[in-house]
Amino acid sequence: MKLKSKNPRKKRLGLIFGAAYLVLLLLFAIFGPMIRNAQLSDVAKGVDPDIRVYNAVLDPVSSSPFAPAGGAAILGTDELRRDIVARLAEGARVSLTVGLSVQLIALLVGITVGVLGVLAPKWIRNPLMRFTDGMFAFPDILLAILIVSVAGLGMGPVIFALSVTAWPSIARLVASQVATLKDREYVVAAKAAGASNFYLVTRHILPQITGILLAYSMIDLAGTILAESTLSFLGIGVQEPQPSWGGMINGARLNMNSYPVLLIWPCAMLSMTIFALNFVGDGLRALADPRDRSA
Amino acid sequence: MQLARALSTRFLLGLLSLLFISFVTFLADEIQPGDAATVLAGEKASAETIERLRENLGLNRPWPIRYVEFVSKAVRGDFGTSYYGVKEPVGQLVGRNVTMTITIASCAILLASAIGIFLGTLAAVWQNKPPDQGILFVSTFGVTLPNFVLAPILAYFFALQWDVLPLTWSVDRVAPDYYYLILPVIVLAMRPTALLTRLTRASMVETLRQEFIRTAIAKGVPPFRMYVKHALRNAILPVITAIGTSFGFLLTGSFVVETYFLLPGLGSTTIDAIRKGDIPVVQACVMLTGAIFIVLNLFVDLILPILDPRIRESQV
Repeated sequence: MKLKSKNPRKKRLGLIFGAAYLVLLLLFAIFGPMIRNAQLSDVAKGVDPDIRVYNAVLDPVSSSPFAPAGGAAILGTDELRRDIVARLAEGARVSLTVGLSVQLIALLVGITVGVLGVLAPKWIRNPLMRFTDGMFAFPDILLAILIVSVAGLGMGPVIFALSVTAWPSIARLVASQVATLKDREYVVAAKAAGASNFYLVTRHILPQITGILLAYSMIDLAGTILAESTLSFLGIGVQEPQPSWGGMINGARLNMNSYPVLLIWPCAMLSMTIFALNFVGDGLRALADPRDRSA
Repeated sequence: MQLARALSTRFLLGLLSLLFISFVTFLADEIQPGDAATVLAGEKASAETIERLRENLGLNRPWPIRYVEFVSKAVRGDFGTSYYGVKEPVGQLVGRNVTMTITIASCAILLASAIGIFLGTLAAVWQNKPPDQGILFVSTFGVTLPNFVLAPILAYFFALQWDVLPLTWSVDRVAPDYYYLILPVIVLAMRPTALLTRLTRASMVETLRQEFIRTAIAKGVPPFRMYVKHALRNAILPVITAIGTSFGFLLTGSFVVETYFLLPGLGSTTIDAIRKGDIPVVQACVMLTGAIFIVLNLFVDLILPILDPRIRESQV
């Protein structure tokens, strides 16, 4: 999943464009669903509550559920008269919520395990790192599907399943970083001056690796969003009527021939988000790691 | 001797991972509301009937005993019967579907290896020139685009717009079977093709910098012979490892492709069973998928030292 560009200027450009896209996406996810509410008050007041839940936009002229783009619904509506823009915004909300929660949990668990895996006494350290290694034995998506089959369907289980698959690589990264940093002179000096392990880790070691962790987390976020969409596409992730990009792509197949817009937009949003996250992650890594910057 | 020890450690680790999967799949049954008895007895069954059935099935015994029984049965391929339909034995149901998965995964890995090695070599030969940049650019998309985005796009053009290939697998097939597998195989092959292209390129670039290549050029070895016999043969090793692991990922990662094209394979069966809550089928599928992945990775570990004497000597 690494999109490498050797050219630092290109990287900076990727970082700027990627970050700009992500800011727009965030705004869209926060404010997008409000568009629907505004439309609802005009067009679909007083109709069947079910339709309200499904963000419907009613077109009084045509009996087809598919409203054309450019009307009350900017991109048109789908087979249940649901506004595509509003659904895309809800989908963005789902993807970002799942992605960010998973990364947060994975970072917490990963940092804890990674630090303990280097600094804890041997009888904790060794089993912990063996266990972490064991987690790599399976492809992430297979493990996620396995967990979902146990934990059930919906957003909560998806977050749980993807967190379980996401933490080991962070733990490994943190462990390797901590292992090199703990022998640096300034850390040894602080230790000699009587600093506790906790102090060393929180004041001297972790601040050193935040940049790398952030960059890594961005690239990993792309993988998480992809995995969430995959599960939702397969129908074992976020469940309808809650919109998700993966679910929208799956739903679009029925009317793909006559209404390819239903397919194009979620695909485009998803692909662009993944590209943007990769660019941003790559750019951040270049900033965080001076060796990478000069290369 | 060291090699034998390393391999047996891998083997033990693999076995351990399988046990872990078996435990989690066993948990699936424990956690889900209802058990085999409630499902088999049907919706209208009284509490007593269910209780009697539970007694007969041995579901009242403590879980460690049932876990051991579950594993010992699973080893023999006995996962009970499906909760739905004609209540077919799960082993039979899964066995029927696994052929499809193996077929498309094998075709996809062959396709990906052929194209990946070819394009990767071309890119390395024309390093940093337009063909190389073009190949790298396209392969970036190949690595990043998810299957479930590519599948509808290809299906839209090939099946709906141009109508040259069938959209999905169906019971009443009019064309020969392989016709229905073309699109799925292409979609499945995309990611490994891109990965193998990049890997072949990187490995070739590295090899072409070596001294023996310079010697070969100085000796006047013709370019084609130099690239294929001298460079590619030395550069191919990491690619072979990657082909092995990619094959593992294809065999165990065809969920999306099988679900999208409605192919009766291991992946679509798993997803279908999870959605229906058909736990015996889920257990069998997940265990089998895990086993396939572990065995394949073991196989890659085994075959590498055979191919490369350097690894044979320095194996840790």
